Amino acid sequence: ALIPLLAPSSLLQNIPESGHKYYLQFSTEDYRTGEDAGNCLATVLYPKKKSPPVVSIKCSHTKDQKEIHEEDNRIYQRIRHQSKPITGSNIPDSYGNIEPALEPVWALAVAGSSSIMWEKSTETLGYFLAQVKSVRQWIRKDNFTEFDYTVLLHEIPTQEMISCHMRLTWLPGHPLKVKHFCASESHSVDEGSGAESGSAAAPAAGKGANF
Amino acid sequence: MWLSLGIIFSLGILIPGKSSLKLQYDRDQVLHIVPETFQQVQHLQLLCSTLMLDLWKPLLPEDIRAGEDLHIRIPAPLVEEVKDTLDQHLISYRVLIPDVQKLVDQSMPREGSSHRQVSGGYVYTKYHPMEEIYQWMTQIQKKNSEVVTQHFLGKTFENREMYYLQIGQPSNKPKKIIWMDCGIHAREWISPAFCQWFVKEILQNYKTDPKISRFLQNLDLYVLPVLNIDGYIYSWEEDRLWRKSRSLYENGTCYGTDLNRNFNSSWGSVGISFNCSSDLFCGSGPESEPETKAVAQFIRSKKSDIVCYLTMHSYGQLILTPYGSTTKPPSNSEELMQVGKEAAAALTGKYGTSYKVGSTALILYNNSGSSRDWVHTIGIPLSYTFELRDMGTYGFLLPASQIQPTCEETMLAVTTIIDYVDKKYFPNGAVVLTSSSLGLSLCLSIVLTWTAL
Repeated sequence: ALIPLLAPSSLLQNIPESGHKYYLQFSTEDYRTGEDAGNCLATVLYPKKKSPPVVSIKCSHTKDQKEIHEEDNRIYQRIRHQSKPITGSNIPDSYGNIEPALEPVWALAVAGSSSIMWEKSTETLGYFLAQVKSVRQWIRKDNFTEFDYTVLLHEIPTQEMISCHMRLTWLPGHPLKVKHFCASESHSVDEGSGAESGSAAAPAAGKGANF
Repeated sequence: MWLSLGIIFSLGILIPGKSSLKLQYDRDQVLHIVPETFQQVQHLQLLCSTLMLDLWKPLLPEDIRAGEDLHIRIPAPLVEEVKDTLDQHLISYRVLIPDVQKLVDQSMPREGSSHRQVSGGYVYTKYHPMEEIYQWMTQIQKKNSEVVTQHFLGKTFENREMYYLQIGQPSNKPKKIIWMDCGIHAREWISPAFCQWFVKEILQNYKTDPKISRFLQNLDLYVLPVLNIDGYIYSWEEDRLWRKSRSLYENGTCYGTDLNRNFNSSWGSVGISFNCSSDLFCGSGPESEPETKAVAQFIRSKKSDIVCYLTMHSYGQLILTPYGSTTKPPSNSEELMQVGKEAAAALTGKYGTSYKVGSTALILYNNSGSSRDWVHTIGIPLSYTFELRDMGTYGFLLPASQIQPTCEETMLAVTTIIDYVDKKYFPNGAVVLTSSSLGLSLCLSIVLTWTAL
């Protein structure tokens, strides 16, 4: 049976012997500016046996590729023009402030941790990025930018703050490469990503970071 | 950029010969320049270092780049000279701030401003540590003693005093009570900020706003600005993202109960942990925590007069109704939803911020032991949890710049609910005529008289 959920535009279908299928319609917005960034239609099937969900998704984009590339390049240039390797901590700080010089680094953290959240979330566990505890840039000989992050993920509904170490590599026009390792207290198993992710199925990744 | 004002002050103190108390920036200008060529960059770097100009962005001359924003503060006596040299080098500029001192003055509380009348220059658009909130409460009562009294509620685990403010027109007739608490969860700083803002708004406007004046005659507002004081202080001093109280468990090896899982409503059944190290630890039993007990005891003692309970949290932009422990709807779910939706609509009207309304179990997650649920089960009909801004972009770390808009819009939602309560229990309530609202009040009294027939 199709069960209408109170959250707008979503349905849950219980498929006996198969699992739970969610039908979702949602809008997206630019993380930084809040501007409307398009709508998406998706289905998510959580199989009865614990395995990653099966996702199909289609989004409309309000920004064209050229605009996205230009913004990505602006962020990239801001990072490359720093005279020393970038380091930072507590972004945003206790009062919600982000130093302008660290905005690009925060933006990358948002994109990179969305990949962690994509892997970690389940039918009953969701995440938000609460804070970047620390960041440190590794200078490379090639054109890629590389950062080591410690990020705090706010886990719902447990309310825990999960500390994750994230190694992120990026060049505009390329998918974000993210390796992560999250410590966890409530579960006995620590989990991390072995290989590179940057799943093409994720709306955020695929064509490089869209800011 | 405005954060740099703090840097100006400290720089001023370092310059010899200047009085360290009164720093004047009369007619200093801030220029916005985007250097186009490397030569321009070099000239600007030279200018900044020779004249010792105050760089707002970037902070160091060596970080000046072609194609990037440059903001410099020019002291008034040098403005003409600097503009001349920029013109000579064909460097275009824009005046970002024509008078720095004017801006500084605007951002400080001054004599005669309404803030001062209410509580002596308290800044409501900043987050305040507990010490300042205690002082604020004392000041609020002192300056508004005709309608405000401060009361002791109980003590926290770490032995700190919990106070609430009672606001209302003294009256001989029995009054109904609206209770609002903030800061059950330590890291949700926007919540205590709202309680303070709410009190300020009520006290600033009750003499002139007919709606507020009306309900203050019929209702007493009880406001507890910080419920989890120990946790709040801990989030300022040790761990900004701390949630729970600071009670000690397990032979002093583990800290804190989630106070919003500690009330006696299906306690310990769902959405909790019995493990102290969890952020959802529900305590050793219902009302095991002194903070919970203080609030519950008080509400129990006044329950026949309390008609509405509001508890403020963040984040998520939600107005939540009972219950969290079951999807079974409460007896007055239609009323709860109706009023909740009206409140959300009023809120959205201000800045377009969208809020969802519904029961916790349906739109959020299952949880037991919440204050909102418990209050409803003992017979208080209108019980709401507000989850304030935002939706996760900053989450708990909501910038202070959003305090004002968040509080302004939330104010509209809360007054909608208070208004509803006022009209529900006092349908023939007294109407106060003031010169500025004569027309409104006349209409109001006509409608009220008509409905009473």
